[in-house]
Amino acid sequence: MGERIETQVPGNIWKVLVKPGDAVKAGDTLFIMEVMKTEVPHDAGVDGTVSEVRIAEGEEGVEAGILAIVIT
Amino acid sequence: MIDVVVPGLETSVQDFPGRIGFWNQGFPPSGPFDSWSFRLANLLVGNPAGAAGLECQYVGPTLKFTQAAVIAVTGADMTATLDGTPVPLWQSVAVKADQVLKMGPAKSATRAYIAIAGGIDTVPWLGSRSTFHKAGVGGLAGSALKKGSQIPVAYATGTPGRSVKPQCRPAFSSTKQWQIEVVPGPDDDWIDAAGQARFLDSDWKLSGKSDRTGFRLDGPQWTFTSKAYDKLPENGSEPSNIIDHGYPLGAINLAGQTPIILVSDGPSMGGFINPYTVPSAAFWKLGQSRPGDVYRFKAVSVDEAQALRRALDALCSENSLA
Repeated sequence: MGERIETQVPGNIWKVLVKPGDAVKAGDTLFIMEVMKTEVPHDAGVDGTVSEVRIAEGEEGVEAGILAIVIT
Repeated sequence: MIDVVVPGLETSVQDFPGRIGFWNQGFPPSGPFDSWSFRLANLLVGNPAGAAGLECQYVGPTLKFTQAAVIAVTGADMTATLDGTPVPLWQSVAVKADQVLKMGPAKSATRAYIAIAGGIDTVPWLGSRSTFHKAGVGGLAGSALKKGSQIPVAYATGTPGRSVKPQCRPAFSSTKQWQIEVVPGPDDDWIDAAGQARFLDSDWKLSGKSDRTGFRLDGPQWTFTSKAYDKLPENGSEPSNIIDHGYPLGAINLAGQTPIILVSDGPSMGGFINPYTVPSAAFWKLGQSRPGDVYRFKAVSVDEAQALRRALDALCSENSLA
């Protein structure tokens, strides 16, 4: 089934916790954004394999609604 | 009770005008950042405009209603649904017992508001139910909603199907540009003429390092008059340093070269100058803007700022409802 995870908030990419090829389970945190001095974890909704990572740690001024990670 | 299934990014209980009368002891008013959207939500469900409701920031909550209620959602569009059916914004809606209100990320703007007929019935602290996280007071145990929290409600009857006239709703910028009113002072005489012109003629970008305490802005350099240099050493060494003094709410506080707008949960005093002040009638624009948005400031007089506030108060009335 797979999943396309988009950024939920505008802000900075604080941490990216997965790389292409990683196996993930539903509920695993994939990356953490920072906005309003608050961490915003983005979790996988499904089990699968990370096939694309389109964001990088340290990116600033990232918009909300941008495709960040693809799980297949 | 309302059960918090998912708390959202930072969802808090707020009332309007908030915790008034304790600024001299360091307590800010708190309250809803966009009081325009907030007050209209309350009026839609038949509450007094200032009754306690929820402020949702960037990502809204998922809430389960343990008993029937009338609610209204206003402000930013967080694609609210009730058991999967879209909830119209700016309208009062009937909720049945056990229904689930689910909200997601804001599609545009930043803050959404949820009012419940009867209002949220937490215990007031210093005369207000508003949450002030920094001191851990007000709201639900002094903090934002948490998973599993229960929100007490003083249920009252409301009328579903009421709506806010389109022309009476705040218009959120779709261009990432906002014009924000400022009143010069109290320390505008520390900024030289070139610096004052530069402030009003430049784009100021909202930094991601902003929250309900302060809004940090990126823009050009500031230049100062002799007041900033020819001063007693106890003022401090930076041009923007001054002997600790009280800050107005909405102050554009100059920390070195970085302006920070002190907003609803901001500090009441400190040792930096405040060359300009954003009047309360413009706070809704701050509250609905996003990091990366650009502000242009427009100087207004105190009289004009007060007229703006009266105009906003008039819009937050029964006359705005259909």
